Amino acid sequence: MKKMWILLSILLSLCLTSCQAPVSRYDGQEATVDIFAMNTYMTLTAYGENAQEALARSRERIQQVEKLWSVTDEDSDIFRANHSGGQTVSVSAETADLLAFALEMAQKTGGTLDPTIYPVLTAWGFTTDTKQIPSQQEISALLPYVGYNRIQLDGTNLTVPDGMQLDLGSVGKGYAADLVTEILKEYGVTSALLSLGGNIQAVGSRPDGNPWRIGIQAPWEDGYLGILQIRDAAVVTSGGYENYFQDEEGNIYWHILDPSTGYPADSGLQSVTIIGREGRLCDSLSTSLFVMGAEKAETYWRENGDFDMLLLTDDGEVIVTEGIADDFSLSDGQEKTIRVLER
Amino acid sequence: MKKWPYVLLGIILLVGIVGSILVYRRPDTAIVEVVQDGQMLYRFDLSQEEDGIMEVEYEGRINKIEIRDHQIHMLEANCPDQTCVNMGWLDSSAPIVCLPNHLVIRFAESSSELDAAG
Repeated sequence: MKKMWILLSILLSLCLTSCQAPVSRYDGQEATVDIFAMNTYMTLTAYGENAQEALARSRERIQQVEKLWSVTDEDSDIFRANHSGGQTVSVSAETADLLAFALEMAQKTGGTLDPTIYPVLTAWGFTTDTKQIPSQQEISALLPYVGYNRIQLDGTNLTVPDGMQLDLGSVGKGYAADLVTEILKEYGVTSALLSLGGNIQAVGSRPDGNPWRIGIQAPWEDGYLGILQIRDAAVVTSGGYENYFQDEEGNIYWHILDPSTGYPADSGLQSVTIIGREGRLCDSLSTSLFVMGAEKAETYWRENGDFDMLLLTDDGEVIVTEGIADDFSLSDGQEKTIRVLER
Repeated sequence: MKKWPYVLLGIILLVGIVGSILVYRRPDTAIVEVVQDGQMLYRFDLSQEEDGIMEVEYEGRINKIEIRDHQIHMLEANCPDQTCVNMGWLDSSAPIVCLPNHLVIRFAESSSELDAAG
Protein backbone atom coordinates (compact mmCIF):
# COMPACT_ATOMS: atom_id res chain seq x y z
CA MET A 1 0.00 0.00 0.00
CA LYS A 2 2.77 2.36 0.96
CA LYS A 3 4.53 1.66 -2.34
CA MET A 4 1.35 2.58 -4.15
CA TRP A 5 1.30 5.99 -2.48
CA ILE A 6 4.93 6.64 -3.36
CA LEU A 7 4.24 5.70 -6.96
CA LEU A 8 1.20 7.95 -7.03
CA SER A 9 3.07 10.94 -5.67
CA ILE A 10 5.93 10.48 -8.10
CA LEU A 11 3.48 10.31 -10.97
CA LEU A 12 1.60 13.33 -9.72
CA SER A 13 4.76 15.40 -9.38
CA LEU A 14 5.80 14.40 -12.90
CA CYS A 15 2.45 15.54 -14.23
CA LEU A 16 2.81 18.88 -12.49
CA THR A 17 6.30 19.64 -13.72
CA SER A 18 6.13 18.42 -17.28
CA CYS A 19 4.65 21.59 -18.71
CA GLN A 20 7.31 23.94 -17.41
CA ALA A 21 8.54 26.35 -20.06
CA PRO A 22 11.90 25.21 -21.44
CA VAL A 23 13.27 28.71 -21.89
CA SER A 24 13.45 31.31 -19.17
CA ARG A 25 11.75 34.52 -20.21
CA TYR A 26 13.62 37.78 -20.34
CA ASP A 27 11.59 40.57 -18.78
CA GLY A 28 13.93 43.48 -19.47
CA GLN A 29 13.83 45.68 -22.53
CA GLU A 30 13.83 44.02 -25.91
CA ALA A 31 13.72 45.81 -29.24
CA THR A 32 13.44 44.46 -32.78
CA VAL A 33 13.60 46.11 -36.17
CA ASP A 34 12.91 44.61 -39.60
CA ILE A 35 14.72 46.03 -42.58
CA PHE A 36 14.41 45.28 -46.29
CA ALA A 37 17.80 46.18 -47.66
CA MET A 38 20.63 44.76 -49.77
CA ASN A 39 18.18 42.50 -51.55
CA THR A 40 17.31 40.65 -48.39
CA TYR A 41 15.23 40.63 -45.22
CA MET A 42 16.99 41.56 -42.00
CA THR A 43 15.88 41.22 -38.41
CA LEU A 44 17.87 42.90 -35.67
CA THR A 45 17.04 42.17 -32.03
CA ALA A 46 18.79 43.89 -29.13
CA TYR A 47 18.34 43.80 -25.37
CA GLY A 48 18.91 46.34 -22.63
CA GLU A 49 18.40 50.03 -21.96
CA ASN A 50 19.66 51.58 -25.19
CA ALA A 51 18.41 48.82 -27.47
CA GLN A 52 15.78 50.92 -29.22
CA GLU A 53 18.04 53.87 -30.07
CA ALA A 54 20.92 51.61 -31.04
CA LEU A 55 18.72 49.75 -33.51
CA ALA A 56 17.30 52.95 -35.00
CA ARG A 57 20.86 54.11 -35.63
CA SER A 58 21.75 50.69 -37.07
CA ARG A 59 18.86 50.85 -39.50
CA GLU A 60 20.03 54.26 -40.76
CA ARG A 61 23.56 52.96 -41.17
CA ILE A 62 22.45 49.93 -43.19
CA GLN A 63 20.34 52.07 -45.49
CA GLN A 64 23.26 54.43 -45.87
CA VAL A 65 25.75 51.78 -46.99
CA GLU A 66 23.15 50.05 -49.16
CA LYS A 67 22.96 53.29 -51.17
CA LEU A 68 26.72 53.16 -51.64
CA TRP A 69 27.01 49.51 -52.66
CA SER A 70 23.90 48.86 -54.72
CA VAL A 71 24.64 47.52 -58.21
CA THR A 72 21.38 48.93 -59.60
CA ASP A 73 21.05 52.32 -57.86
CA GLU A 74 22.44 54.86 -60.33
CA ASP A 75 23.81 57.07 -57.58
CA SER A 76 25.77 54.34 -55.81
CA ASP A 77 29.56 54.24 -55.71
CA ILE A 78 29.52 50.81 -57.34
CA PHE A 79 27.13 51.81 -60.15
CA ARG A 80 29.19 54.89 -60.98
CA ALA A 81 32.41 52.87 -61.10
CA ASN A 82 30.78 50.10 -63.18
CA HIS A 83 29.43 52.59 -65.72
CA SER A 84 32.38 54.93 -65.96
CA GLY A 85 33.70 53.42 -69.19
CA GLY A 86 36.99 52.63 -67.47
CA GLN A 87 37.43 56.09 -65.93
CA THR A 88 38.62 56.53 -62.34
CA VAL A 89 35.89 57.58 -59.90
CA SER A 90 36.11 58.76 -56.32
CA VAL A 91 34.25 56.59 -53.80
CA SER A 92 33.38 56.86 -50.11
CA ALA A 93 35.68 55.60 -47.38
CA GLU A 94 33.28 52.75 -46.53
CA THR A 95 33.21 51.53 -50.11
CA ALA A 96 36.98 51.70 -50.39
CA ASP A 97 37.36 49.85 -47.10
CA LEU A 98 34.96 47.06 -48.07
CA LEU A 99 36.42 46.75 -51.56
CA ALA A 100 39.97 46.62 -50.21
CA PHE A 101 38.86 43.78 -47.95
CA ALA A 102 37.10 41.94 -50.81
CA LEU A 103 40.14 42.24 -53.06
CA GLU A 104 42.42 41.03 -50.29
CA MET A 105 40.18 37.99 -49.67
CA ALA A 106 40.01 37.31 -53.42
CA GLN A 107 43.79 37.17 -53.50
CA LYS A 108 44.12 35.08 -50.32
CA THR A 109 41.61 32.53 -51.59
CA GLY A 110 43.22 32.21 -55.02
CA GLY A 111 40.33 33.93 -56.78
CA THR A 112 37.67 31.45 -55.58
CA LEU A 113 35.93 34.58 -54.35
CA ASP A 114 35.80 37.15 -57.11
CA PRO A 115 33.85 40.42 -56.76
CA THR A 116 33.93 40.80 -60.56
CA ILE A 117 31.90 37.66 -61.38
CA TYR A 118 28.75 39.76 -61.85
CA PRO A 119 28.55 39.71 -65.70
CA VAL A 120 28.54 35.89 -65.68
CA LEU A 121 26.02 35.77 -62.83
CA THR A 122 23.79 38.03 -64.93
CA ALA A 123 24.13 35.71 -67.95
CA TRP A 124 22.76 32.90 -65.74
CA GLY A 125 19.88 35.19 -64.79
CA PHE A 126 20.59 34.96 -61.06
CA THR A 127 20.62 38.73 -60.69
CA THR A 128 17.29 39.27 -62.42
CA ASP A 129 15.31 36.12 -61.52
CA THR A 130 15.09 35.12 -65.17
CA LYS A 131 17.20 32.03 -64.63
CA GLN A 132 18.55 30.36 -67.75
CA ILE A 133 21.51 28.31 -68.97
CA PRO A 134 23.84 30.50 -71.01
CA SER A 135 25.70 28.99 -73.95
CA GLN A 136 29.36 28.01 -73.61
CA GLN A 137 30.22 30.76 -76.14
CA GLU A 138 28.47 33.35 -74.04
CA ILE A 139 30.35 32.28 -70.92
CA SER A 140 33.67 32.16 -72.79
CA ALA A 141 33.02 35.65 -74.10
CA LEU A 142 32.29 36.97 -70.60
CA LEU A 143 35.12 35.30 -68.65
CA PRO A 144 37.77 37.78 -69.92
CA TYR A 145 35.79 40.44 -68.02
CA VAL A 146 36.18 38.53 -64.76
CA GLY A 147 39.36 39.11 -62.77
CA TYR A 148 39.64 40.89 -59.42
CA ASN A 149 43.31 41.76 -60.00
CA ARG A 150 42.42 44.22 -62.75
CA ILE A 151 40.39 46.37 -60.37
CA GLN A 152 42.47 49.35 -59.30
CA LEU A 153 41.94 50.90 -55.91
CA ASP A 154 44.20 53.72 -54.83
CA GLY A 155 42.96 55.18 -51.56
CA THR A 156 39.39 56.13 -52.46
CA ASN A 157 40.05 56.28 -56.20
CA LEU A 158 38.51 53.31 -57.96
CA THR A 159 38.95 52.18 -61.55
CA VAL A 160 36.82 49.41 -63.03
CA PRO A 161 38.00 48.56 -66.59
CA ASP A 162 35.42 49.03 -69.31
CA GLY A 163 33.10 46.02 -69.62
CA MET A 164 33.86 44.73 -66.11
CA GLN A 165 31.38 44.93 -63.25
CA LEU A 166 31.98 44.99 -59.52
CA ASP A 167 29.47 43.52 -57.09
CA LEU A 168 30.08 43.48 -53.37
CA GLY A 169 27.13 41.17 -52.65
CA SER A 170 29.32 38.38 -51.34
CA VAL A 171 30.84 40.50 -48.57
CA GLY A 172 28.44 43.44 -48.16
CA LYS A 173 26.03 41.81 -45.73
CA GLY A 174 28.88 40.57 -43.55
CA TYR A 175 30.43 44.02 -43.53
CA ALA A 176 27.06 45.62 -42.69
CA ALA A 177 26.69 43.21 -39.76
CA ASP A 178 30.11 44.31 -38.50
CA LEU A 179 29.06 47.97 -38.75
CA VAL A 180 25.87 47.25 -36.77
CA THR A 181 27.84 45.31 -34.16
CA GLU A 182 30.11 48.33 -33.73
CA ILE A 183 27.15 50.67 -33.30
CA LEU A 184 25.49 48.38 -30.74
CA LYS A 185 28.67 48.24 -28.69
CA GLU A 186 29.00 52.04 -28.80
CA TYR A 187 25.51 52.22 -27.32
CA GLY A 188 26.51 49.81 -24.57
CA VAL A 189 24.39 46.93 -25.86
CA THR A 190 25.85 43.66 -24.59
CA SER A 191 23.25 41.26 -25.93
CA ALA A 192 21.91 41.27 -29.48
CA LEU A 193 21.25 38.92 -32.34
CA LEU A 194 21.36 40.03 -35.96
CA SER A 195 20.06 38.12 -38.94
CA LEU A 196 20.88 39.71 -42.28
CA GLY A 197 19.24 37.39 -44.76
CA GLY A 198 20.67 34.30 -43.09
CA ASN A 199 23.95 35.91 -42.06
CA ILE A 200 23.84 35.57 -38.29
CA GLN A 201 25.84 37.76 -35.98
CA ALA A 202 25.68 37.59 -32.20
CA VAL A 203 26.72 40.31 -29.80
CA GLY A 204 27.51 38.79 -26.41
CA SER A 205 25.25 36.00 -25.22
CA ARG A 206 21.52 35.65 -24.65
CA PRO A 207 20.12 38.04 -22.04
CA ASP A 208 19.87 35.07 -19.64
CA GLY A 209 23.59 34.45 -20.05
CA ASN A 210 23.28 31.28 -22.11
CA PRO A 211 24.80 30.98 -25.58
CA TRP A 212 22.61 31.72 -28.61
CA ARG A 213 21.24 28.65 -30.37
CA ILE A 214 21.51 28.88 -34.14
CA GLY A 215 19.82 26.41 -36.46
CA ILE A 216 21.98 25.40 -39.40
CA GLN A 217 19.75 24.81 -42.42
CA ALA A 218 19.62 21.29 -43.83
CA PRO A 219 20.11 21.68 -47.61
CA TRP A 220 17.18 20.66 -49.85
CA GLU A 221 14.85 19.83 -46.95
CA ASP A 222 12.78 21.49 -44.26
CA GLY A 223 14.34 21.62 -40.86
CA TYR A 224 17.85 21.83 -39.57
CA LEU A 225 21.06 19.92 -40.03
CA GLY A 226 21.94 20.77 -36.46
CA ILE A 227 22.23 23.39 -33.80
CA LEU A 228 25.24 25.54 -33.11
CA GLN A 229 25.74 27.35 -29.81
CA ILE A 230 27.62 30.63 -30.05
CA ARG A 231 28.56 33.78 -28.16
CA ASP A 232 30.03 36.92 -29.72
CA ALA A 233 30.40 35.40 -33.16
CA ALA A 234 29.25 35.57 -36.74
CA VAL A 235 27.80 32.50 -38.49
CA VAL A 236 27.44 32.56 -42.26
CA THR A 237 26.31 29.65 -44.41
CA SER A 238 26.57 29.31 -48.18
CA GLY A 239 24.92 26.51 -50.09
CA GLY A 240 23.63 25.79 -53.55
CA TYR A 241 20.13 25.18 -52.17
CA GLU A 242 19.73 28.88 -51.32
CA ASN A 243 19.20 29.97 -54.93
CA TYR A 244 18.98 27.56 -57.86
CA PHE A 245 16.93 26.34 -60.79
CA GLN A 246 16.42 23.07 -62.64
CA ASP A 247 16.41 22.31 -66.36
CA GLU A 248 13.94 19.90 -68.03
CA GLU A 249 16.18 16.94 -67.26
CA GLY A 250 16.27 17.79 -63.58
CA ASN A 251 19.86 19.05 -63.50
CA ILE A 252 20.34 21.62 -60.79
CA TYR A 253 22.17 24.89 -61.40
CA TRP A 254 22.94 27.05 -58.39
CA HIS A 255 24.04 30.63 -57.84
CA ILE A 256 27.53 30.03 -56.47
CA LEU A 257 29.72 30.13 -59.56
CA ASP A 258 33.31 29.01 -59.87
CA PRO A 259 34.99 32.19 -61.19
CA SER A 260 37.54 30.11 -63.13
CA THR A 261 34.90 28.30 -65.24
CA GLY A 262 31.81 30.52 -65.05
CA TYR A 263 29.72 27.44 -64.14
CA PRO A 264 28.10 26.56 -60.80
CA ALA A 265 30.77 25.37 -58.36
CA ASP A 266 30.81 21.59 -58.16
CA SER A 267 33.36 20.84 -55.49
CA GLY A 268 31.65 18.04 -53.61
CA LEU A 269 30.12 20.30 -50.97
CA GLN A 270 26.46 20.95 -50.23
CA SER A 271 26.96 23.76 -47.75
CA VAL A 272 29.69 25.62 -45.92
CA THR A 273 29.21 27.39 -42.59
CA ILE A 274 31.90 29.72 -41.30
CA ILE A 275 32.05 30.81 -37.67
CA GLY A 276 34.31 33.70 -36.70
CA ARG A 277 34.63 37.07 -35.03
CA GLU A 278 33.93 39.19 -38.09
CA GLY A 279 30.92 38.98 -40.37
CA ARG A 280 32.90 40.13 -43.40
CA LEU A 281 35.44 37.33 -43.04
CA CYS A 282 32.75 34.68 -42.56
CA ASP A 283 30.73 36.02 -45.49
CA SER A 284 33.64 35.93 -47.92
CA LEU A 285 34.98 32.56 -46.75
CA SER A 286 31.62 30.76 -46.87
CA THR A 287 31.48 31.45 -50.61
CA SER A 288 35.12 30.83 -51.44
CA LEU A 289 35.49 27.60 -49.42
CA PHE A 290 32.30 26.31 -51.07
CA VAL A 291 34.03 26.82 -54.42
CA MET A 292 37.29 25.26 -53.14
CA GLY A 293 35.86 22.00 -51.82
CA ALA A 294 36.62 20.12 -48.60
CA GLU A 295 40.29 19.34 -49.15
CA LYS A 296 41.42 22.83 -50.12
CA ALA A 297 39.15 24.33 -47.44
CA GLU A 298 40.96 22.22 -44.83
CA THR A 299 44.33 23.42 -46.11
CA TYR A 300 43.12 27.03 -46.06
CA TRP A 301 41.93 26.59 -42.48
CA ARG A 302 45.25 25.10 -41.37
CA GLU A 303 47.18 27.94 -42.98
CA ASN A 304 44.97 30.85 -41.94
CA GLY A 305 42.89 29.46 -39.11
CA ASP A 306 41.32 32.63 -37.67
CA PHE A 307 37.89 31.00 -38.00
CA ASP A 308 35.99 27.75 -37.56
CA MET A 309 34.00 25.91 -40.18
CA LEU A 310 31.36 23.28 -40.77
CA LEU A 311 31.28 21.56 -44.15
CA LEU A 312 28.54 19.27 -45.40
CA THR A 313 29.76 17.03 -48.23
CA ASP A 314 27.78 15.44 -51.08
CA ASP A 315 28.31 12.09 -49.32
CA GLY A 316 26.58 13.28 -46.17
CA GLU A 317 29.67 13.75 -44.07
CA VAL A 318 29.83 16.69 -41.68
CA ILE A 319 33.33 18.07 -41.21
CA VAL A 320 33.81 20.45 -38.28
CA THR A 321 36.91 22.16 -36.93
CA GLU A 322 37.87 21.53 -33.33
CA GLY A 323 36.96 25.02 -32.09
CA ILE A 324 33.24 24.41 -32.55
CA ALA A 325 33.06 20.61 -32.37
CA ASP A 326 31.63 20.69 -28.84
CA ASP A 327 29.15 23.46 -29.68
CA PHE A 328 27.49 21.66 -32.58
CA SER A 329 24.88 18.93 -32.30
CA LEU A 330 23.07 17.16 -35.12
CA SER A 331 19.27 17.46 -35.22
CA ASP A 332 17.19 14.37 -34.54
CA GLY A 333 16.85 12.24 -37.64
CA GLN A 334 19.98 13.64 -39.33
CA GLU A 335 22.03 10.52 -39.89
CA LYS A 336 25.38 11.96 -40.75
CA THR A 337 28.87 11.07 -39.71
CA ILE A 338 30.83 13.85 -38.06
CA ARG A 339 34.56 14.22 -38.60
CA VAL A 340 36.46 16.66 -36.43
CA LEU A 341 39.50 18.44 -37.83
CA GLU A 342 42.24 18.98 -35.30
CA ARG A 343 45.27 21.14 -35.64
CA MET B 1 -6.08 -5.10 -1.36
CA LYS B 2 -8.15 -2.12 -2.33
CA LYS B 3 -8.81 -1.31 -5.95
CA TRP B 4 -9.19 2.46 -5.84
CA PRO B 5 -5.48 3.33 -5.90
CA TYR B 6 -5.23 1.52 -9.23
CA VAL B 7 -8.26 3.36 -10.58
CA LEU B 8 -6.76 6.67 -9.42
CA LEU B 9 -3.44 5.74 -10.97
CA GLY B 10 -5.21 4.94 -14.23
CA ILE B 11 -7.09 8.24 -14.21
CA ILE B 12 -3.93 10.24 -13.56
CA LEU B 13 -2.12 8.44 -16.35
CA LEU B 14 -4.99 9.00 -18.74
CA VAL B 15 -5.30 12.70 -17.88
CA GLY B 16 -1.53 13.02 -18.32
CA ILE B 17 -1.53 11.35 -21.72
CA VAL B 18 -4.52 13.28 -23.03
CA GLY B 19 -3.08 16.52 -21.62
CA SER B 20 0.30 15.93 -23.24
CA ILE B 21 -1.29 15.23 -26.61
CA LEU B 22 -3.33 18.44 -26.37
CA VAL B 23 -0.31 20.49 -25.35
CA TYR B 24 1.86 19.09 -28.12
CA ARG B 25 -0.74 19.37 -30.83
CA ARG B 26 -1.62 22.96 -30.16
CA PRO B 27 1.01 25.37 -31.46
CA ASP B 28 2.44 27.44 -28.63
CA THR B 29 1.52 30.65 -30.35
CA ALA B 30 -1.03 31.27 -33.04
CA ILE B 31 -0.80 35.04 -33.15
CA VAL B 32 0.17 35.93 -36.68
CA GLU B 33 1.49 39.27 -37.88
CA VAL B 34 1.42 40.61 -41.42
CA VAL B 35 4.09 43.29 -41.65
CA GLN B 36 5.06 45.53 -44.55
CA ASP B 37 8.27 47.55 -44.37
CA GLY B 38 8.20 47.36 -40.58
CA GLN B 39 4.55 48.47 -40.38
CA MET B 40 2.05 46.11 -38.83
CA LEU B 41 -0.85 45.68 -41.27
CA TYR B 42 -2.70 42.86 -39.53
CA ARG B 43 -2.32 41.00 -36.27
CA PHE B 44 -4.71 38.20 -35.39
CA ASP B 45 -5.08 34.83 -33.71
CA LEU B 46 -4.88 32.26 -36.47
CA SER B 47 -6.75 29.69 -34.39
CA GLN B 48 -9.75 32.07 -34.22
CA GLU B 49 -9.60 33.42 -37.74
CA GLU B 50 -12.20 32.51 -40.36
CA ASP B 51 -11.17 31.25 -43.80
CA GLY B 52 -10.61 34.05 -46.26
CA ILE B 53 -8.29 35.94 -48.58
CA MET B 54 -6.72 39.31 -47.93
CA GLU B 55 -5.00 41.53 -50.43
CA VAL B 56 -2.00 43.68 -49.71
CA GLU B 57 -0.66 46.24 -52.14
CA TYR B 58 2.89 47.51 -52.54
CA GLU B 59 3.82 50.01 -55.25
CA GLY B 60 0.97 48.76 -57.42
CA ARG B 61 1.85 45.08 -56.93
CA ILE B 62 -0.58 42.79 -55.13
CA ASN B 63 -0.04 39.95 -52.70
CA LYS B 64 -2.94 37.65 -51.93
CA ILE B 65 -2.76 35.96 -48.55
CA GLU B 66 -5.05 33.03 -47.85
CA ILE B 67 -6.23 31.69 -44.51
CA ARG B 68 -7.70 28.21 -44.63
CA ASP B 69 -8.35 25.77 -41.77
CA HIS B 70 -6.40 27.99 -39.37
CA GLN B 71 -3.33 27.96 -41.58
CA ILE B 72 -1.92 30.83 -43.60
CA HIS B 73 0.04 31.07 -46.85
CA MET B 74 0.79 33.32 -49.80
CA LEU B 75 -1.74 32.43 -52.46
CA GLU B 76 -0.52 34.77 -55.17
CA ALA B 77 2.13 37.43 -55.60
CA ASN B 78 2.82 39.36 -58.75
CA CYS B 79 6.56 39.27 -58.42
CA PRO B 80 8.97 37.35 -60.68
CA ASP B 81 10.52 34.91 -58.21
CA GLN B 82 7.41 33.49 -56.45
CA THR B 83 9.61 32.46 -53.52
CA CYS B 84 6.96 33.42 -50.99
CA VAL B 85 4.25 31.43 -52.79
CA ASN B 86 6.53 28.39 -52.95
CA MET B 87 7.20 28.55 -49.21
CA GLY B 88 3.78 27.00 -48.58
CA TRP B 89 1.98 27.22 -45.25
CA LEU B 90 3.54 29.25 -42.45
CA ASP B 91 5.32 27.19 -39.82
CA SER B 92 7.39 28.18 -36.85
CA SER B 93 10.76 27.55 -38.53
CA ALA B 94 10.80 30.64 -40.74
CA PRO B 95 8.61 33.59 -41.67
CA ILE B 96 7.13 33.87 -45.15
CA VAL B 97 8.92 36.75 -46.84
CA CYS B 98 8.11 38.48 -50.12
CA LEU B 99 11.28 40.47 -50.79
CA PRO B 100 10.14 42.53 -53.80
CA ASN B 101 6.99 43.63 -51.99
CA HIS B 102 8.61 44.08 -48.57
CA LEU B 103 6.03 41.81 -46.95
CA VAL B 104 6.46 39.43 -44.03
CA ILE B 105 4.01 36.92 -42.54
CA ARG B 106 5.20 35.54 -39.22
CA PHE B 107 4.19 34.21 -35.85
CA ALA B 108 4.31 36.95 -33.23
CA GLU B 109 6.39 34.81 -30.94
CA SER B 110 8.54 32.00 -32.15
CA SER B 111 7.73 28.72 -30.46
CA SER B 112 11.02 27.35 -31.72
CA GLU B 113 13.81 26.59 -29.28
CA LEU B 114 16.20 28.34 -31.63
CA ASP B 115 17.23 31.98 -31.49
CA ALA B 116 17.94 32.26 -35.21
CA ALA B 117 18.53 30.20 -38.32
CA GLY B 118 21.09 30.57 -41.02
